[in-house]
Amino acid sequence: MSEMIEIIVDDKTYRAEEGSLLIDLLIREEIKVPYFCYHESLGADGNCRMCMVEIAGQKRPQIACDTLVKSGMEVNSKSTKIEKVHTDILELELINHPVDCPTCDQAGECSLQDLYMDYGLHDAKVTIVDKVKHDKKVDLGSNVMLDQERCVLCARCTRFTDKITHTHELGIIGRGDEAKVSTMPGRKLDNPYAMNVVDLCPVGALTSKDFRFHQRVWFLQSAESICHGCAKGCNIYIDHNKMKYQDDVIYRFRPRRNDAVNGFYICDEGRLSYKELETNRLESMLYDGVVVDEHEAIAQYKSLLTQYQGRVSVVIDANLYSEEIEAIVAYAERIGAKVFAPLECYNDPSFADDMLKSAQRAANYGAIVKMGLETNMPSDAGLIINFNHPTHFNAEAEIHFSTHKQESNALLLPMAAFSENSGSLINEVGLEQWCEKAVEKNSPAPTVLSWLEKVEG
Amino acid sequence: MSFCFNDANVAKIEALKKRYPSAQALSLPCLWMVQYQEGYISLDAIDVIAEVTDTPAMEIYRVATFYTMFHLEPTTQKRVLVCKTLSCKLCGSDAVLEQLKKHDVLVEHVECLGSCGTAPVMQIDDVNYENLTPTKVDAIVEGLR
Ligand code: SF4
Ligand code: SF4
Ligand code: FES
Ligand code: FES
Repeated sequence: MSEMIEIIVDDKTYRAEEGSLLIDLLIREEIKVPYFCYHESLGADGNCRMCMVEIAGQKRPQIACDTLVKSGMEVNSKSTKIEKVHTDILELELINHPVDCPTCDQAGECSLQDLYMDYGLHDAKVTIVDKVKHDKKVDLGSNVMLDQERCVLCARCTRFTDKITHTHELGIIGRGDEAKVSTMPGRKLDNPYAMNVVDLCPVGALTSKDFRFHQRVWFLQSAESICHGCAKGCNIYIDHNKMKYQDDVIYRFRPRRNDAVNGFYICDEGRLSYKELETNRLESMLYDGVVVDEHEAIAQYKSLLTQYQGRVSVVIDANLYSEEIEAIVAYAERIGAKVFAPLECYNDPSFADDMLKSAQRAANYGAIVKMGLETNMPSDAGLIINFNHPTHFNAEAEIHFSTHKQESNALLLPMAAFSENSGSLINEVGLEQWCEKAVEKNSPAPTVLSWLEKVEG
Repeated sequence: MSFCFNDANVAKIEALKKRYPSAQALSLPCLWMVQYQEGYISLDAIDVIAEVTDTPAMEIYRVATFYTMFHLEPTTQKRVLVCKTLSCKLCGSDAVLEQLKKHDVLVEHVECLGSCGTAPVMQIDDVNYENLTPTKVDAIVEGLR
């Protein structure tokens, strides 16, 4: 680490590492600086020119994203002169912009909109008919749609495929008015992390085919959670909304920055895994394929338990929260059942890569290992009580607490999915992370803890 | 891949390689070689250049689209490159373009041809035709046959 030095920004003194980027300091200290092209994970590119600041001793304004801090540097980010510079550059950025915010999915989370409110508020000098026309609907592949007219050519998306995935599908082609983001003719954006470009794009040029036109972002509520796609434990936001007369549903997962785990990104499979939480859910209690009420279900549960007394095995899914696993283990002890948490079925080396994706496809893999639970398959059980484990086990009788529908004549009891409950997870490297409850369904399925109360009551 | 550099170009590439610190520096020379060899630059050729220069194909494609002098489509017509930049525009390139419409040629608008002092300018087969007037345009194009 290099030396810490002091610099002055807007008459206040700050400490920073010598030679670090000025823009990083401004962002960290929450000193307002407009920018499009800079991104902490992609580095400086210096193409948008929005991040201008004044530096004492320099004749012209300088871009903060390409300026290294030096001891004693005096920076001015707020003068009338620099605000005028911001306004003028923004006007240039907007010259050919179609201003179709009312139909743009980025509206509400768009840098261009935000910066216009801060620095623009000018009237357009170019009428809409004179603006340069480009393609508004290019299907780049991997669920990513490009509107070339909205693009500010910041090159974040192309730098992502160059520097992060090294797949090089995207590039800015042509020059001047003709410049636009594109893939090569006949080729597609195609990599397992492709949809991150939608989050990276500061404007509405790149939108997700999966999300576009489904919901205005200002209606969405965000809960902080962890992806359940594998044992990496990528941090996500669950964006959901309950519309009038409808149920609370999830519209998207977005990456949530955590430099210790996933940085700024998540994989596309994890991102789209929210769909599983909304489809094929087990909604009613079933016994022998017939809907039963809670009273009958619990009576059946208890009679099975008595019938197989001493020959009961409890099986635990490694995606349940640690609190739930602990409660199940304690419950099993009380009823004299053996506990199993087989991990074999989660192992999928074909999923793994050297970026984020882990071969262990269970979110609470670390907890099972840490608690030292039995990971072999249950053998010669009379009754199996399965807490959402995906494997089918052979037993004389079965009870399933299950988030999803399944083909079975056993007693099936619907339970809440992770998004409908809160709890903690331990990832593959032993990091413990907390998931907030996101969704409140109109008729919520009971959580594991409330089920245990019911069956013991 | 159906494109192959001919023997002369392969030799040229080998000779040039020694001159530059990185293979990527061969991108532009290679694009020229392809264009002279085939008359245009195909996607296949871009993939071959990418391999020769150890550069992602997208980078080569970007360079090829950046410069107006590279042609990415084949044609059986004569290509006429007309400068669309400032001096030529001011000195009458619009009239040149209008006149060219009357002829069976493929007109391409290109950036400054580096001959602003003799604007307006057009270029056919690497030859610049300068101080153009509509009459001169007719004479030049007819003289091509
Ligand atoms: S599509 Fe978005 S991220 Fe890509 S260059 Fe344009 S504005 Fe930037
Ligand atoms: S790498 Fe794993 S935890 Fe991360 S987003 Fe993908 S599936 Fe989810
Ligand atoms: S953020 Fe500095 S030039 Fe774009
Ligand atoms: S402007 Fe036409 S040759 Fe330079």
